[in-house]
Amino acid sequence: MTLNAHPDPDENKLVEALKRGEQAAFTEAVSTYSAGMLAVARYYVDPANAEEIVQDCWVTVIDAIRRFEGRSGLKTWLHRIVANRCKNQLRTSHREITTDFSERLEPELDSRFNASGRWATPPKLRFDESADALLENGALSDCLDKHLGHLPESQRSALILYEAHQHKSDDVCNILDVSASNLRVMLHRARQKIFLMVETFQETGEC
Amino acid sequence: MLMCRELAGIASDYIDGELNTGRRLSVQMHLMMCRHCRSFIGNLRASTELLRGHSSARVEQSVIDRINHHVTEALSHRTEDPDSDR
Ligand SMILES: [Zn+2]
Repeated sequence: MTLNAHPDPDENKLVEALKRGEQAAFTEAVSTYSAGMLAVARYYVDPANAEEIVQDCWVTVIDAIRRFEGRSGLKTWLHRIVANRCKNQLRTSHREITTDFSERLEPELDSRFNASGRWATPPKLRFDESADALLENGALSDCLDKHLGHLPESQRSALILYEAHQHKSDDVCNILDVSASNLRVMLHRARQKIFLMVETFQETGEC
Repeated sequence: MLMCRELAGIASDYIDGELNTGRRLSVQMHLMMCRHCRSFIGNLRASTELLRGHSSARVEQSVIDRINHHVTEALSHRTEDPDSDR
């Protein structure tokens, strides 16, 4: 017996419609899931290739969806298809993904401690506002977009899958082909960068 | 004893509940005594929530449209020739 780990009725309905090849269902699914799929693809290949890969994956899905049994959620399943296709492509092009996993602290943050490991330049901001209130600040939201755009692809994809898509660590490791400890470091570093960004923004009003 | 720099390095794990009990306790001990680190953890947590609330994976509608166009085309070939995929 296969137990559906994500008994989301809307998702089940969508999957059934996809299995019947209904065009409206595909349009809906493409709009809902492509952003995440692109994030996965961009981890492995450059942005122009990423779009092509996601396109090809959707065409594959037209047939493959019939074999979807719902053991994982639809989103995870789609992300795995994209990851596998990218990995195959990398294997033929012999490209390597390089990421710096050595340090747990961003250099800019590291420089704020003194030799004995205490804060020399302590955090300046009072972060009393809730995240929602902060997000209503359009300028900060734009600034966040900009900084996310500047993150190394590896960190950005890890962040998007883990934070925005709420994937479990195991799934992210599997999709991005990284160890649990490397994933932790990518998340650390990305969050630290966002922290530094918000701090500067609140202090100076500049991005 | 845990120093501020070291705490900053594992702050993310602390926030996500990924530390073992011993480490977690030493972080909590440190936080009781150090307001800078309290502030840092608070800031990092808020940054994380900020990211969670921010749909960081948005893509341009034109990209979605292109993908949809491609898929629609593939689907129409499929319905013209329903046996081709078996
Ligand atoms: Zn401290």
